[in-house]
Formats: sequence, structure tokens, C-alpha cells
Amino acid sequence: MNIYRKFQTLKFSVLTVFVASTLLVMGNVYAKKPFSAAEKEDQMNMLMAAVKKGDDLWHNPGLGTNGLACGNCHPDGSASNPHTWPKYQTNLGKVGTLREMINWCIAVPMLGKPLALDSEDMISMEAYVMYTHRGVAIAPAKDEQHGAVPVVSGPGYPNADAGNR
Amino acid sequence: MKNISRREFLGVSLKTGAATMFAGMFAPTATSMMGLGGIVHASTKKISPFTFAVLTDAHLYDIPNHKFDAILEKGVADVNSIKPRPDFVLYAGDLGQSGKEAELIKGKKILDKLKVPYKIIPGEHDYYLDMGKAWRGLFGDEHWSFDHNGSHIIGMNSILVEDFWSMASLTPKERMGRMEELECHRCGLWGVGEKQLDWLEKDVKKLSPDTPIIIMTHSPLWDYYPRWNFQTLDAPEIRMILRKFEKVMAIHGHVHQVVYNSVGNINSAGLLSTSWPWPYPPVELPYPDIRMNRVDPGDFEDGLGSHKIDVASSFDGEIDYRAFSDLLPENVKRGVKL
Repeated sequence: MNIYRKFQTLKFSVLTVFVASTLLVMGNVYAKKPFSAAEKEDQMNMLMAAVKKGDDLWHNPGLGTNGLACGNCHPDGSASNPHTWPKYQTNLGKVGTLREMINWCIAVPMLGKPLALDSEDMISMEAYVMYTHRGVAIAPAKDEQHGAVPVVSGPGYPNADAGNR
Repeated sequence: MKNISRREFLGVSLKTGAATMFAGMFAPTATSMMGLGGIVHASTKKISPFTFAVLTDAHLYDIPNHKFDAILEKGVADVNSIKPRPDFVLYAGDLGQSGKEAELIKGKKILDKLKVPYKIIPGEHDYYLDMGKAWRGLFGDEHWSFDHNGSHIIGMNSILVEDFWSMASLTPKERMGRMEELECHRCGLWGVGEKQLDWLEKDVKKLSPDTPIIIMTHSPLWDYYPRWNFQTLDAPEIRMILRKFEKVMAIHGHVHQVVYNSVGNINSAGLLSTSWPWPYPPVELPYPDIRMNRVDPGDFEDGLGSHKIDVASSFDGEIDYRAFSDLLPENVKRGVKL
């Protein structure tokens, strides 16, 4: 190997080490720093606010016109089986999503007006149902009726305002 | 000096060593876990066999031509079609949804089409708008008993909660609104209360232990899932009072599902509603074979039904869940021993 090539290789190695160290020092180019405890708390609080809004809507007969609310048949979100969606659902006649099934329930048994699938209300109801089934293994199309996470007391989720209903 | 209440007394006895005895007495035994249904406690007293029917949980709304009106009508017509005709009908509570008098009047009009006499108890949905005033005006006493063909039949109001509304300054409508929610965690656990326990004690005092007893409450007389008030707070006291009898059949509404338990001398069955079915709570069933299938939400009659109960001369009972749609596994279709 001639001296020129040796020099080139050395130059490349030095540059590589320099760039890599710079990136490591900057720390946020290729990988993000873990969220701080305060950031995580903020994010969880925002989720819990959505869960509470979803809980309120879930028990609100105002989504329908015949007095029924989602909670009449699905206490704690039970039997909505969020871990099985998307799946082929006979009532929808296609492979659909949990949100579409929520809309089907609003429209058919509750005689109400379906929500926009990406509306804040719909996302909140999805957040409520997913939270009450946290930890349940994802099982697409599994033919089972799954209960929510058991609740001994309280609303079933951490929220300072929860339980005023 | 303050009189010690029955609950306090029982609490004390439990703490002072009686707990083991209770656990042994009330837990299902190995024998009771075999077969469909619990121990068959044959009664030594022979009675004249009879049949009665049960309806419950219509949850009628004050909305004209609501779909639940037609389902209660169907339940009444189904009971009227049973041949030979049942001797009487029991109704296990929640005739209305929001405690409105109009709901109860509508329900009474439908129940009055029954061709045999019926006895009824209140559920929480009938009660917490006016604390049972309209219900009592239409149906009378919240607890009662009568004798039939040698057996003694009891109905009690099991949905009495401690006052959670006064401190929170809730209006009657708000109070009712909270009680309407199965997961209401501000409402607390319910039971029959001291007055009814005293009444029950007196009511059965003179009966001999071989008297067959049938007891109906809105909620189960065993701890199923307290979160949804699938329980009766003073069930241990009730079981204590009824302990002297050879055999007790218990039926309860509120759970809107097929469920069964055998606790001590009491075999107990949950009932189908005529409104909507409820999923099983996230606990193990004491008798996992006695259950209903999952329900099709597109079939508004699925998960609902009426019931016929046959009582033999030995006081062996059998409950026939008369589901309005294809709901039951074959073993339950054949009838469940009570």
C-alpha cells in the first residue's frame, strides 16, 4: 500500500470518528432522548383527559335518540373487544374497524347519527375502550367476548375529575 | 347503650374465628361442582308440584313505541303461552329505566296482560328518582312473602344504598342518572338493610326447617362482581337467617345473563332480561358450564328471554331459560337444576 492510500484511509477514519462523536454529543439526530418524567406525565394526563371524555360519551344517551348509551350494553367498555379489530364483522358486512363498529352501534341499536371517524369524540371513545382493555393481547378476529380490566373501586382510570358523574 | 347491629355482630363473629366456618359453609364443595347445577338438596317435606314463570329487567323508557315495550309484550305473551299455565309469575325488578312513573305505568299495563297473578320487587332503575314512591303507589310493598303448595316464597328489595346524594347536593334526577349507570362508583354497594333483615327473621321464624323456600331479589345473594353491584351487601346475613332450611332456591335479576351458583343450602340462578344482555364480568364463573353464548348485536332479541321454573314434589327445581333467539348451549337448553 502506498503512503498516499494510507493517508487517505487515516483521514477517512478520523473523519468518521469525528462525525460519530459529534452526533453522539448532539444526541438528537438519529435517536431521541427518552422523555423526561414531566413530559411523560403531561402526555399521560392528555390521554387520561381523552379517556374521561370517552367515558362520559360512552355513557351519554345523547349520542342516540332512544335513551340508550353505549354503556347500557358495554359496561366498562366490556364486550367491545378492542383487541380483535380490524376484523370481518357481520354487522358491517366487511373488514372494519372498532370506530366503524362504534358508529354502527350509534346508528342501529341507538338510532343516532354516526360520528366522523376522525372526530375528537370518536378518538376519545376509542381511547376509553382501549384503556379499559389495557394489557389484553392483540388477537385479530379472535372469536371471544373479552371483559375489561377488573376494577375494584373508582372510575377505572387515573383522573382527578373522574367520577363526578 | 347502643344496640349492636346484626352486621356488627356478624362482623365481630367473623373476626373472632368464625371465618373458617363460614368459608366452609358457603364455598361450593367438590360435590357441588359436579354436573350441571349444584347439590340437589331434596327436601324431606313433600309438596304439591307446581310451575311458575319469571320475567325481569324490562328497562322501559318513557318514549312511545320504544323497542323494549315490544320485547316485554313478547315476554308476557310467551309466559301466557306456557302449557299447563304457570301458577303465578315473579318479576325481579327494573321494570322502568329512569324511575319515572310513566315508565312504571306503561310496564304495569303490559304485566297486567298476564293471565295469572304476579308478584314484583323493585330494582334500582325503578327507585332512585322518587325513592320508590311511584313504584309503591302502583305495586305496594317492596318486600313480601306468601305460601304456595307447601312452599314459602319471599321477595325483597336488595337495592338500598347509603345516601350518596345529600352531601353532593344532587337533584333526584341526577341521583337517578348515577344509579342508572352500572359502573357508578359513587353510588356504593347495595343491600336489603336492617329493617328487611328483621322482617325476614320474623317472617321465617315459625317455619319448620323442611319448608321449601324460594327467595327473589334484584341482585345476587353472593359476591359476583361488586363493581357492577352484582352482589347484595347483607347476603351473608340473609344466608345466616335462611341457614336452618333444608333447601332454598334463589332467583335474581340485574345481571341480564345466564349465571348460576350454589352456596351452602342455596341454589341460585340469574335471569335473562327483556331489554339488553350483559357481558360476563372479568371474574371466573363459579359454574362455567352454565352460561349463555355471546350475543349478536344485530339481533335485538338475542340475549333476552323469559323463564319457566318447575318445582317437583321433592322440591327439586329446574329452570328453563326461554331465550328469544339462539342463545343457549345445549346443556343449558336442557334446563338447569335449582
